[in-house]
Amino acid sequence: MINAVLVFNNSGQPRLTKFYTQLETSVQQRLISEIFTLVANRPNSSCNFLPLPPLLASSSKSSTPTTPHNDTPSLVTYRHYATLYFIVISTSTESPLALLDLIQVFVEALDRLFENVCELDLIFNFETLHATLSEVIVGGVVIETQLDKVVEGVKAQGRVAKRPVNEGKGGLNLGAFSTRSRDFP
Amino acid sequence: MFEKSLYDLIRGLRNHKGNEREYIQESIKECRKEIRSNDMDLKSTALMKLTYLEMFGHDMSWASFNVLEVMSSQKYRHKRTGYLAAVQSFRRDTEVLMLAENQLKKDISSSTPTVISLPLIAIPHVINPSMANSVLSDLIPRLTHSQASIRKKTIVTLYRLALVYPETLRPAWPKIKERLLDDNEDPSVTAAIVNVVCELGWRRPQDFLPLAPRLFDLLVEGGNNWMAIKIIKLFATLTPLEPRLIKKLLPPLTKIIKETAAMSLLYECINGIIQGGILEAVEGTAEGEDIAHLCVGKLRGMMVIEGDANLKYVALLAFDKIVQSHPHIVAVHQDVILECIDDADISIRTGALNLVVGMVNNDNLTAIVGRLMRQLRNSPIASATDVPVNDRARETGVIPVADSDDSDAEESLRVEKKSNQAPPLPADYRISVIQKILGMCSRDTYTNISDFDWYVDVLVQLIRVCPATKTSANLDGTEDADFSTSGNHGDISYEIGQELRNVAVRVRSVRPEALEAAQSLVLVEQRDQMFPITGNGGQGVLECAGWMVGEYADLLTRPDGVMTSLLHTSASHLPSRTLAVYLQAIPKVFASMAGNDQISWTPQRRTLLTLLMARVVHFLEPLAMHPSLEVQERAVEYLELMRLASEAASGTETGNDNGDFVDPPLLLTQAIPALFTGLEINPVAPGAQRKVPFPDDLDLDTPINANLQHILQQAELETISDADEDDVYQAYNERIGTHSEPSISISAADRLDTPKAEQPSSYQNATEDEYLDSDILARRKAERRERYKDDPFYIDPDRDRDSGVSTPLHNILKNSNGEELDIDAIPIMDLDLEKQERGRERDEAHRQPKRKPRRNVEIIVDETLGPDEATSSRDGSRPDLVRSAQAKGKKSLLEVDSSGLGSLSLEDDGAGTSKLDIERREQEEAEMAKALKEVERLRLEMQRAAERIQARDAPPDGTLVKRKKKKARKAVMEAPEETREVDMGSLPEGDHEEGLAVKKKKKNKAKSEENAGGDAPGDGAEGVVKPKKRKKKRQALPDEPVAETGSRDIV
Repeated sequence: MINAVLVFNNSGQPRLTKFYTQLETSVQQRLISEIFTLVANRPNSSCNFLPLPPLLASSSKSSTPTTPHNDTPSLVTYRHYATLYFIVISTSTESPLALLDLIQVFVEALDRLFENVCELDLIFNFETLHATLSEVIVGGVVIETQLDKVVEGVKAQGRVAKRPVNEGKGGLNLGAFSTRSRDFP
Repeated sequence: MFEKSLYDLIRGLRNHKGNEREYIQESIKECRKEIRSNDMDLKSTALMKLTYLEMFGHDMSWASFNVLEVMSSQKYRHKRTGYLAAVQSFRRDTEVLMLAENQLKKDISSSTPTVISLPLIAIPHVINPSMANSVLSDLIPRLTHSQASIRKKTIVTLYRLALVYPETLRPAWPKIKERLLDDNEDPSVTAAIVNVVCELGWRRPQDFLPLAPRLFDLLVEGGNNWMAIKIIKLFATLTPLEPRLIKKLLPPLTKIIKETAAMSLLYECINGIIQGGILEAVEGTAEGEDIAHLCVGKLRGMMVIEGDANLKYVALLAFDKIVQSHPHIVAVHQDVILECIDDADISIRTGALNLVVGMVNNDNLTAIVGRLMRQLRNSPIASATDVPVNDRARETGVIPVADSDDSDAEESLRVEKKSNQAPPLPADYRISVIQKILGMCSRDTYTNISDFDWYVDVLVQLIRVCPATKTSANLDGTEDADFSTSGNHGDISYEIGQELRNVAVRVRSVRPEALEAAQSLVLVEQRDQMFPITGNGGQGVLECAGWMVGEYADLLTRPDGVMTSLLHTSASHLPSRTLAVYLQAIPKVFASMAGNDQISWTPQRRTLLTLLMARVVHFLEPLAMHPSLEVQERAVEYLELMRLASEAASGTETGNDNGDFVDPPLLLTQAIPALFTGLEINPVAPGAQRKVPFPDDLDLDTPINANLQHILQQAELETISDADEDDVYQAYNERIGTHSEPSISISAADRLDTPKAEQPSSYQNATEDEYLDSDILARRKAERRERYKDDPFYIDPDRDRDSGVSTPLHNILKNSNGEELDIDAIPIMDLDLEKQERGRERDEAHRQPKRKPRRNVEIIVDETLGPDEATSSRDGSRPDLVRSAQAKGKKSLLEVDSSGLGSLSLEDDGAGTSKLDIERREQEEAEMAKALKEVERLRLEMQRAAERIQARDAPPDGTLVKRKKKKARKAVMEAPEETREVDMGSLPEGDHEEGLAVKKKKKNKAKSEENAGGDAPGDGAEGVVKPKKRKKKRQALPDEPVAETGSRDIV
């Protein structure tokens, strides 16, 4: 299952924190900080999987070989879009490559909702950001992977606010989507 | 009062660059005021702002009651804010949780789908067992809600309920299963169920075997790759239980592997085949050969594909899973895997590192360790100052700083980006590499090592690449101490030292070399050379090195230098544990230096020794006041001993210069050495001590001397200074006479004969110069030359320079390769002539790996008594590591514990198990339904008869019955009104029911008229509470099981 979804920007400012277990605020911040340290230094060619941050690594080695899976978070997947990092922490029951596509679905859904989404949209509409995530993941289990249905689900909750007009400076369109196609619609 | 919206807050933050902290404190203060307001809009806005600030680590637990207030608002907008705040801020100890329960139940039963969603999403975050029991009855009816989005969320929420309250599954699972088996169910819902089943599956695979046919169909149908991946993952846990599945699965999986365009699905197919044990199952058949070839071929393809590091990473993960069971498969791809050890990406490196530990053997150990060493040596040690640069403020919490450049934040997210900096080699990674090297080498008491000289050199080199330790942090008792990964010392160099000590103790033949290494580590003048240039890394090794130079002092080549280093002023600043070991080593070295009774007691010798003892005394004196008790005690003991020895030395007459032999003082030659020599120390297995049987007559309870107290008192009265030195002197001499043992623990012959047995080392060391420092290398070369001096087949690269003698072959090589030829540098390919044979005998090969004939090195194994207990690990040489690994059994941070599910069977074994409320209610309801059907029939008959009489006026006794019934049904049957209405309408049952449905419709119409004013259906809820209740009574019909109505949801 998925243990946490985090979004923060290039300087480590959180934009979305969702922990599917109850965690002390200070520990949450420390974890974000550790992951940011890990992710911020990765070169271009690196893969999208992080080694476990120290907070999680300390207890990860106790896995028993008798069961194929366990409850311990063992996978930290991330993607980096423009100014934002999207992080998913999960156990071994999730497929690493599929999680990458899931993040892509999430971001594409945001893009549809905000029409060419950028970090500012997410800052000012963080309730919508949470709502979108809740249409993809509930309680750490993925409930929807289809873009249309995610968008539909968020729209059913009410109008999605646009970013305040005077905040945007226009000309936000920077290139097209990354070419890697998703494995599920 | 000026009120800020969330928008204002964020804008304000962005306008207050530099003093965000004050701005935030100010804002929180405002929020505290606003949240107490009676204006729900204001309250909810304040809550929203607090939730936003919570993301940056600002506590909002004080507002939990206000969260509840906002949650209970009638407006959806407020509700949503409230629920979000609850999800983000409620913790395990939040007290208002009890009060939230009713609100959750109420909203779950709401008629508006968006409102239902809110508690469904929130429950997984706040649930506890007692609450689970309570909301379960409200949740289950939602499984048949008309909207797919509600159904799928309910399913997942029920799963999270089951995690804290496993009994949930008893009523819920049959209904979920029903959904799964329904072909007409919405694909999204099916996928959500599969996701949940996949999570449940590995806990209790046997319960999910009956679902295999349906899951198989879903897999073959295809269409949803995410779901297919989950199904494959689930099947991988089912196949070990049901071998017949393998035959069935193989064709579709092969088909997917060959045809799918989705890399993730392809990978998970291969992964599933590996993990599900399918490879073993079909081994030997033509089909099996094909599939194995296909899978491994694809994996290799992933490793070598250019430009996609992700595939490389996941392929390593897959290899890692098979390395234990199928080492031969992995070994074939050793080449590409070893490449990954040097990958620029730390994740891939770590993956490869974990993998090579599993595939190391006698043949490739040197090569693998060599690669790792080269990596450690060639990348600079990250200095401590590098780290905090990217570390956000840790203790203070993060302030949402104003973005330095707003245009950044406006950049479109459409472009996926990755930064371009090169990664430093973090200390954690270094430590783990060193640990892996130590682990690989010491595995099974050094099975894989054939050249211990090499190992000693590797250990010495490892010290130099040690990362700086965080001892200061650990001393503070900060949390970091709990998370330090390396052993009980928190210092990897201590572990290296232990290895060095282990080798010295276990492998006698290499003891001189190990001692040489320990000596050079202890020598103060070599400190710069032997230890990392920056930081304080590597100091932990001194504890073991100090022990070694003391214990095997006779083997030291430079005892004087060692003694000087042990007595160096810098030594007294060492950590107390190391210092204590040093203190123990000092008299040992002294004993070996002074203890020779074959040399005459000349004035010269006396002067030298007196001087030496004076130095020892000088060193020990201040330590008698050391804060560490251990150090203090040892210092005091040896101080007294040295003073005695000093007096003995000065009291013994020296001989004249005429050459007559004069006996040195016995205290020096006999007494002191006897303290430290005796039986040689052997390694003892962990736990062996516990197996030593207690002697029957052992009595630890009776006091040895009942008069102890009295004696002590007497002793205090006597003057201490009165001690007769002659007596003491005498006593020492007597003890020697009776108790001393031969002082030489290892004979010179012992030391000489074993190294001769060495065979020429292979050229696998060819790349040594890449990972060993030049001084170590030079020594190795010199040693090698020495060793093969008389070997005509050894080509010495340097010899011709000295002697001018060269072979024709050498000339040819020299001419074609140029002057700077180094035979050692020629890479020699690992020609595996046994490969083909191995392929044939694969079975035996990987069950009983062939061991290369090892060199004649005797390794002392652990001493133990009786059979090995399960508790002592196979890796007996590193008990400390094992212990620390076991101690780490605690729960991980983000872990969601699902172990409770393990004990609950989903099979309907019915009898014996206590029934849940909801089950009891269901049963009651069934009985009630029967009775009611009868009553209703009669009632309807009456109603028909009195068609024109108002239908609402039910007879009083009838109401009573119905109220009871309502209570029973509410739990299971509650569906939103609208749905029910439609369902009723479409019920194909008898006329009487239809009649009722019509009636109800009328009522609903009336209600909607009442509510015409309110735009949201929830708004008028209070106004219609009464009619609603009555309606429910009416509705409570003997209608069909819930699931059936669910399938007719098409409104």
